Amino acid sequence: MNRNIFGSFLFVSLIVVFGLMACSNKTDGGSEEDNDIISVTFWHSMSGENGTNFEEIVEEFNNQSDNIHIESVYQGSYTDLITKIRAMGNTDEAPAIIQASGTNRKYLAESDFVEPMQKFIDEEDFDTSQLEENALNRYVIEDTLYSMPFSTSNAVMYYNKDMFREVGLDPDNPPQTFSEIEDAAQKIKDATGNYGFTMATIGWYFEQLLANQGELYLDNDNGFSGEPTKSLVNEEAGQGIFQWLDNMNKAETFKNYGSDWEDPRAPFLAGQVGIYFDSSANIREVVKQAPFEIATAPLPVPDGVEPHGATVGGNSNYITNKVSEEEQKAAWEFIKYTVSPGVQAKWASVTGYFPVTKAANEEDVLKETYDEFPQMLTAVEVNNKTPAEPAMSGPLSDDGEQFRSIIEAAQEKVYEGEDPKKALDEAAEKINDLLK
Amino acid sequence: MMRKIFFYIILCISALLLFAPILYAVSASFMTPQEIYAGALFPSSINFDAYKEVVNSIPLFHFLWVSFVMSFMVMVGQLAVSSLSAYAFVFIPFKGRNLIFFLFLSTMLIPWEATIIPNFLTIMKLDWLNTYQGLTFPFFALPFGIFLLRQHFLTIPKEIWESAQVDGCSRLRFFYKFALPLSKSSLSALAVYGFLTTWNKYLWPLLVTNDNSVRTVQIGLKMLIAQEGSSQWNVVMAAVVVILLPTLFLLFIGIKYIREGLTAGAVKG
Repeated sequence: MNRNIFGSFLFVSLIVVFGLMACSNKTDGGSEEDNDIISVTFWHSMSGENGTNFEEIVEEFNNQSDNIHIESVYQGSYTDLITKIRAMGNTDEAPAIIQASGTNRKYLAESDFVEPMQKFIDEEDFDTSQLEENALNRYVIEDTLYSMPFSTSNAVMYYNKDMFREVGLDPDNPPQTFSEIEDAAQKIKDATGNYGFTMATIGWYFEQLLANQGELYLDNDNGFSGEPTKSLVNEEAGQGIFQWLDNMNKAETFKNYGSDWEDPRAPFLAGQVGIYFDSSANIREVVKQAPFEIATAPLPVPDGVEPHGATVGGNSNYITNKVSEEEQKAAWEFIKYTVSPGVQAKWASVTGYFPVTKAANEEDVLKETYDEFPQMLTAVEVNNKTPAEPAMSGPLSDDGEQFRSIIEAAQEKVYEGEDPKKALDEAAEKINDLLK
Repeated sequence: MMRKIFFYIILCISALLLFAPILYAVSASFMTPQEIYAGALFPSSINFDAYKEVVNSIPLFHFLWVSFVMSFMVMVGQLAVSSLSAYAFVFIPFKGRNLIFFLFLSTMLIPWEATIIPNFLTIMKLDWLNTYQGLTFPFFALPFGIFLLRQHFLTIPKEIWESAQVDGCSRLRFFYKFALPLSKSSLSALAVYGFLTTWNKYLWPLLVTNDNSVRTVQIGLKMLIAQEGSSQWNVVMAAVVVILLPTLFLLFIGIKYIREGLTAGAVKG
């Protein structure tokens, strides 16, 4: 009897499995037309609370539109979504709208499944002057805008005002140069024993610190005026950044908490470190969680250098050419909706991104948010001051993500005691190899 | 006696160390975000807000069901394919048997990631996106499973096979009357292994589905973790705890069966 059990179990299970397959519900994620409603598929990476807020915007659009239904599908992180689009971009399964972060802009612009946003703008004489120039510039390649920016953020410096008061630093006058930060960090260390400064080991911050000095990352204008051939990260500006980090690390006023966005947040909120860098998109949450007073300031520059501003982070939306013209038109309607002042103001006030549409700053909902969280204004002011030049648009390359990992690895070596110049020279060499 | 106490203390400490991340996850799921950021180890009060939030923000129970169906199908598929092919490799003599077996084994050297795109294109051409077939079929053939069961079948005495032949037992009958019951331990180990690895899959389900009706818990979990910006870790941990429960449950049952199978084999020989 007992011997039969295993065999019978297997056979019964097999029957169940094939039964399930026969009746498994085949649902089509693609677009279908029912009662003249055009369904448009939109792949995005918005998760967590931002995801909930994002779904709300989509739903509001669907409610106010008579004949367009946006089918928004979460496709994992930005990287996951790109993996998926690499496999599916050229097939009929591709969606009408793709959301992507800036590091993938070159790949998507050069792919043959993306319809340049410029085409829709030209067809309709859509007025792009109402949008932030810096945000647009990041996605313009050879005078063609490939995607419509949706969320924009940059890096800002957060500091603990209470701790500043405690150690005798001026809480309303934050350090703004490398040496001022070194001094402030030393003061914090001496007075409280806590660390003065930290930043997550993320290549994005290095890009920001370089751009703030108005310096290029790659030759040929960061790749905007031709294929880049050489990395410029180990020029004087880059060396200065590494030297600065090394100084603080050696003085033990700096601590490396890890390479994830979240890593420095907990120590900062627990009062173990006084100053850190974070994306401006987090200001709202961090201020809400903190048991002390927080202020923000622009990223620092080396002594004697004029601060230039910041490159724009965040994401933008692409329309593909794998769907019917009708669907493209519908997708364009939705894209226009996403950059309308009302939507941008709402998105900025619930997330912490700053709006890509200038008029959004005049909306009441955003004004109220800025009154409540004045810390959010730093990013907006930095962005307004940022000049339109290639250095401020970040490196344009297919390998943007790898550049970041190379820089991150070099940073970690420095934290472990490697000579900063040597580490950065090696990193530049690796980037050059990728460019070949 | 002292020795025993000493061993138990060591065992308890290591068990606690190994289990600590999960215990922290449970504890964090009851905390407020402030408490998590402040580095607390225990919640100041038990509240189920995070669990409510999980259920409100994602269709968690549906995802659990999909994950269960997917893992179960892969488990059964792997058992069927592995046991049948292992049986062929051991009991059915044919030319080039060993060569084919080693060819099978050598596919273990190919990282699964390298085959994602071809597999994906196959599934897409078959029009199996957003279906359970698409989610499960590519995992049915498992060289590790074939290897494991082949090694076990080899330990079945040839005499049983010969006397079964003499008595006119057909090959299929021998398969499910003798080979399978005698390999219960390996089969259960393989079943647990197959179920758990499938339960934890993330990239493949994400690739082949575009629709929440056929998405798994791991994708649901990722939906709770913010792309940019800070995540509400108490909510994420609450989801982790809910997702862990079925796997822990299976592990408890599975371990019992594996142990039973192993000891039974040891005594009877």
